[in-house]
Amino acid sequence: MIRRLFADFLLALCLLLVAELAVRLFLPHDVSGRFSYGYDREAGFVESGEVVRLVRAGGRRFHPQTFSRRRPPDTLRIMVIGDSVPRGPSLAAAYPGQLQELLAAAGMKVEVINLAIPGFGARRSRLVVEKILQYEPSLIILHLNDSNEYEDEREYRRSREFQGWHPRHWLMKSFILARAYEIKTEKLQWRLLPETIRQQQLLNDADAELAASLDEAQQRRWQQRFWETTRETVALIRERSIPVILVIQASRQAGDQGPERLDDHGLGALAQSLQGPGVQVVSMGQVFSGLNPLRQYFADSAHLTPTGHRRLAAALAAVIRGRGQGAGH
Amino acid sequence: MSFISWQFPFFLLGFVLLYWRLPHRPRLWFLLLGSYTFYGFWDVRFLALVFTTTVVDYLCALGIVGEKCRPVQWLALVFLPFSWLAAMALMVPAAGIDQKVLYTALAATVLFLVGYGLVWRLPEAARPRGFLLLSLGFCLAILGFFKYFNFFLSSAAAALAGLGLSPDWPTLYIILPVGISFYTFQSLGYVIDVYRGQGPVCRDLLVFAVFDAYFPQMVAGPIERGRTLIPQLITDLKFQAADLHEGLIRILVGFFKKVFVADNCALLANYVFDPGTSLNAPWALLGGVAFAFQIYGDFSGYTDIARGTAKLLGVELVHNFHFPYFARNPSDFWSRWHISLSTWFRDYVYIPLGGNRGTDWQTTRNLLFTMLLAGLWHGAAWTFVIWGAYHGFLLLLYRFGPFTWLNRKEYNSLGLGLLAGVIMTVLTVVGWAIFRSPTLGHFWTWLTALGAWGTRTLPWHSSFWWLAIHVAPLLLLQGLTWRRADETKLLDLPWVARGVIYALLFILVVSSTAQDQEFIYFQF
Repeated sequence: MIRRLFADFLLALCLLLVAELAVRLFLPHDVSGRFSYGYDREAGFVESGEVVRLVRAGGRRFHPQTFSRRRPPDTLRIMVIGDSVPRGPSLAAAYPGQLQELLAAAGMKVEVINLAIPGFGARRSRLVVEKILQYEPSLIILHLNDSNEYEDEREYRRSREFQGWHPRHWLMKSFILARAYEIKTEKLQWRLLPETIRQQQLLNDADAELAASLDEAQQRRWQQRFWETTRETVALIRERSIPVILVIQASRQAGDQGPERLDDHGLGALAQSLQGPGVQVVSMGQVFSGLNPLRQYFADSAHLTPTGHRRLAAALAAVIRGRGQGAGH
Repeated sequence: MSFISWQFPFFLLGFVLLYWRLPHRPRLWFLLLGSYTFYGFWDVRFLALVFTTTVVDYLCALGIVGEKCRPVQWLALVFLPFSWLAAMALMVPAAGIDQKVLYTALAATVLFLVGYGLVWRLPEAARPRGFLLLSLGFCLAILGFFKYFNFFLSSAAAALAGLGLSPDWPTLYIILPVGISFYTFQSLGYVIDVYRGQGPVCRDLLVFAVFDAYFPQMVAGPIERGRTLIPQLITDLKFQAADLHEGLIRILVGFFKKVFVADNCALLANYVFDPGTSLNAPWALLGGVAFAFQIYGDFSGYTDIARGTAKLLGVELVHNFHFPYFARNPSDFWSRWHISLSTWFRDYVYIPLGGNRGTDWQTTRNLLFTMLLAGLWHGAAWTFVIWGAYHGFLLLLYRFGPFTWLNRKEYNSLGLGLLAGVIMTVLTVVGWAIFRSPTLGHFWTWLTALGAWGTRTLPWHSSFWWLAIHVAPLLLLQGLTWRRADETKLLDLPWVARGVIYALLFILVVSSTAQDQEFIYFQF
């Protein structure tokens, strides 16, 4: 009698349980680190034997790539870490891909791996660096852009949102339910609700941070943290005696009266302070300086067109060849 | 404790499990203790007001039928609220009960004692009326002080300022006790019923105290009548699996309406009715419609959870909503919206005033007065008063004015019915805009924005989809339960369909859990 009465609730429970089990069994990579939003060092790296695959998981939207755990002999392994600018429109069109092509054409045995992810700021980039140090890079190209600190902060808060065993987080331990919440947030709330409304209503901690991002003092604190984290990241790379090239992001800005200009947000000063043995700097401001019109190289204020990517790759290739980098580094 | 707090599921689970294990009398004690705990989660101080209402109305109802407790009993009862406050002041200094509060409580106690004693000295024939007036006076004075004192003071000051006077009256810092309008009206309804001989007097103080503080519906209704709830409390109820089943469905649907529909519509409504927002016609419309669904989802959602919770305890609470947005005229709307309140005003205000039995002028007066009071019941602000007057005016338009032709119960054609429904929906949304606007000035801004199609503001298209996505599942649910006009009546569907619906509703609820907006009607 009771079973017949509650058949509907049992069915609902079964549906939820089956969906949960199916996802956990058949899509384990999707579950692993899914709600860490880039703050899980392992997410996105799938190791099987000697092969490492880059997959999209845990907020890490890598370009799918495969490489060996150990650097192939006589090969210059370059790993590029940064945000949407080095990630580019595609693996081939982005400057890491172009760099691979240019260096290979110059007769170098080279492997360039694009580890750039949109929206990654200093903190999440550092986690990627910590992970890839074990894959024996010969050279790391670190693309510096301080405009992602808001997103780093927001995603950090999201990754902490349902942490802990407080009863109000219990339901979110279910992958299906947490994913439903995530879809609602990313696909509906962020896309359909104007930012003004989200800021006004502070829907959650992440949105509270969005409001705080308008605060100048907060911006200064973020910038300071960006500088400190970048210094730590470079020091970490240098501890392993791995050479590093810092690419300084520059944004295209309309001039008041005259032509457009490029602004590096003061990152040049940071890069200069880090320059030293094993650390070189390539400034986008210098690479694109004097070029007119800039829109031929910049798709918007920050992102590059394929032509822009090619030009930056050429500048980097020149630096690498100049360093006399070769196999075995 | 709120239904949407994380503590509530644990409270309910533990409560229901223990409740059904107890014999009838201990169960009532347990219910009373649970109800006071539930209410005390908000503010333990205000339990003194609940005790006051219970004691006053219990003694007055007994007095109406000529009965009296032993002096020790009624003295102990009368001093109960004061004793509670004194105990709180001594044992919980953080509760912030100071000497002024204690003296006021003591003065009120003495005042009631004097009133109670005086009524007993009246001739026997005059006593029932005396006790009724004592109960009405005392309970309405408490309600008036906590809810309306500052409103009337500031309104009077503003009126005097208009005459060139500048009174320097202090404004008291008064916290509105949650649910005060609901439990006061419920308790008063009981006393009036006893006075009229329409309901039996409850001699069992325990049962009456549970009736007054019944936690599923105490803070936001539905407003129960003594004659329907008290007999259920007196009965030694037996556990029924069907009650548990139906209760769980109601609770799930209630959470869906509150968390998924209301809280998400609130995001748009809050933006549109924020005084700093610049509006154009699409935004004004979006805000009005969003608030209409917000308040429906919020309040009917609360009611569903309340009715579901009571059902888990074996008690059937009254039906409070009947698809109000499908009403075809104002009186139809009020027979579908917050039914327990509209019938309360009908039975205890409108009909005693003469209802529609007199001349047209008298009916007009009665209607307007009742609706003004109904508006004021919702809150101490002119927007609520005007909202009440607006609905009174609509009722008159449909009764005597140019809309009379839409007031027929029998519509000959689907087209006419549809037209009547659309007109009523538009009028309802305008009414909600008055209700939601922070000031009358803001309502005027909203109204004039309806004509401003060219004004540049935020793009509204994506927000329209936001609204549609959160309203469509509710309309779908209404379509599935159309025959019963109650979204919780899903039992007519095959069990497989129900299972799928529950799973979907549950996912929708969880996907919207971060908003955490409190129920609108708590403020009333």
